[in-house]
Amino acid sequence: MALPQAAAFLAASLTLAASGALALAEPLVASSAPSGLSGPPTVVSPPKTVSSGSEALDVSLSPECRVPGSQLYSLARLGAVKLALKEKRAVRVLTIGGSSAGLGAATTYPVKLETALERSLPDVDVVVESRGMQGEIASGAAERLRNMVAEVEPDLVIWQVGTHDALARVDVEVFATALAETVQWIKSHEIDVVLVNPVYTASLAADEYYNSLVRTVQDVASREGVPLVQRYEAMRYLSGLGQKGEGHLLGSQFRLNELGMRCMAEHVTRAITLSLLQTDPGAPAPAMAPPRDAAVKAASPPPSIFVRPGD
Amino acid sequence: MREPNAIDFWRGLALVTIFINHIPGNTFERYTYSQYGISDAAELFVFLAGWSIGIATRGRDGRPEPRLKTVLRLLSRTIEVYRAQLTIMTLALAIIAGTALVLDNPLLLEWHNAGGFFADPIQTVVGFVLLTHQLGFFNILPLYVVLIGIAPVFVLLARVSRVAALALSFGLYATSLVFEWNLPSWPGEGDWFFDPLCWQLLLVLGFVGEDLNRRSPWLRSWAQRLVPLGIAIVATGVILAVYDIRPDPVLAPEPRLFFTFDKTYLTPARLIHFVGVLLAFQTLYGVLAPRLGPVTGYLASLGRNSLAVFSIGSLLSLAGQLIRFRAGGGVLVDVSVVGSGLIALGFTAWFVEWRSRKPRPSSPQA
Repeated sequence: MALPQAAAFLAASLTLAASGALALAEPLVASSAPSGLSGPPTVVSPPKTVSSGSEALDVSLSPECRVPGSQLYSLARLGAVKLALKEKRAVRVLTIGGSSAGLGAATTYPVKLETALERSLPDVDVVVESRGMQGEIASGAAERLRNMVAEVEPDLVIWQVGTHDALARVDVEVFATALAETVQWIKSHEIDVVLVNPVYTASLAADEYYNSLVRTVQDVASREGVPLVQRYEAMRYLSGLGQKGEGHLLGSQFRLNELGMRCMAEHVTRAITLSLLQTDPGAPAPAMAPPRDAAVKAASPPPSIFVRPGD
Repeated sequence: MREPNAIDFWRGLALVTIFINHIPGNTFERYTYSQYGISDAAELFVFLAGWSIGIATRGRDGRPEPRLKTVLRLLSRTIEVYRAQLTIMTLALAIIAGTALVLDNPLLLEWHNAGGFFADPIQTVVGFVLLTHQLGFFNILPLYVVLIGIAPVFVLLARVSRVAALALSFGLYATSLVFEWNLPSWPGEGDWFFDPLCWQLLLVLGFVGEDLNRRSPWLRSWAQRLVPLGIAIVATGVILAVYDIRPDPVLAPEPRLFFTFDKTYLTPARLIHFVGVLLAFQTLYGVLAPRLGPVTGYLASLGRNSLAVFSIGSLLSLAGQLIRFRAGGGVLVDVSVVGSGLIALGFTAWFVEWRSRKPRPSSPQA
């Protein structure tokens, strides 16, 4: 059967149905040349170096990614990674979800993350495995995550979570329960978790549902005592900085998204290194058992090591 | 056009189920049988593909067609499926990108593995044609391409010895489970969502099953006697699915994949459950077909044109997801999205058959 013609016929009308009066030619051209082409004038005009407004920027981050710490992460103890450091073995990291690729071969997110982590944890071998993920945690994806964890056997799972559930408009309560269960499950196997919440974009800024889903990730992270990288807050902060809009077909939101992706490895690394410096004072760490900190302190990196990617 | 039959009917049902399940979060999802068992429509679809190969590579008298003809037939089908996959992937990426632009919403670019393509088109376009870059929900046809591509080996071997074909297939399946063999994803890490090295077993079971079913009254009578066993397995599946009972993959003993519920590797639990489904429902078509009226004809027409219907269904599911996201979900949206989708699937089947009936001009005059 002559399928492609039939498919093309139906799908052409379908594209129109899905996206309104969409001028087909332009977006196709645009999508083949996405903002990943690192043209020099693209992104954000370099912000002031030290402090903007009330709160100090985290200057350990590269200039375009600088965000005040409070808007970037919430910290919590990472027992399993500390243990790996103490035992002087390689730290195995599994990153899950989202677009794992970055700007071409050498700089994909997992590669950048591995580089950034190794820079900030001198003499530590970090092995990053990354997995794309399809599906919603509220349905099959939680199960798939368990299988991935069983396969990779990591010390730390960095989980970009919520995007697919948001796209499927999964009930927020159901999402919260499934996320909490999965986080508890990972922790029950003495594996650390860092959550990364979904992106900020202007067209969803007023979307009540989307905001409550982002808040849910935050709530679950604080309830379960795991670090959170607030990609949403960080990108919202970055979006407030002056941008040179040069009338590209991809609006400023796409350039912001690109910047968010580029900064993510740094932001995640920052949250992890700072979390590693956490002793456990008030933070109840229920599943994590014995006090390892006395010994760990010697092995753990000094606070002066900062991420300084020059690229 | 052939009359409605059980194979086309069940394949049609699998297509409808896949269409609905590929719009996650929609109201009708919970009424599909995938929610009430360990295996789902994917197993049924692949098994019936094997069964169809059995029918297609034999004459009406049951005699196998010449070997070369079989090989060429399967090769041609492989190319057809490959072409369909490239077409729907291209359209899917354009639909995602177009919608993201129109809604000014880059979040959509992260849709189920699509982000890789938009962030790194240079490598990913290569992975795209190699079938190693797959979008979520668009990963069944790559499995098909490989399965139909390697099918000649099993089909020809089974003509010499069915036992040998089954042994080869089981051996490959078991070895892949033990050593966790799978085809790699690229670019990016990880493996195929459907592991062809494991899923080939279902295709071969379908193919050999068709052969035995036709020629062995002994097998048919035993299959009927095992209906209660099938029902017991299905009932167990319902309980496990409803109460969310499943093994913890981290605690599973080695070789781990023998004990977990893992769709990627078609682990034994899924396989056993699927065999249970087959046993339990083997005679159901005879009961249902006369009572369902036009529904029987509708489902059978989808099944007869499964590749076209599956392809259009995949794109309609994607469009349905985007519409639901935009409109915010809700029963009304779901009824219209799923309802118009089912009509469009029926139209697709009708359209394909209309085109093949229509005499074509003998000399192209363009």
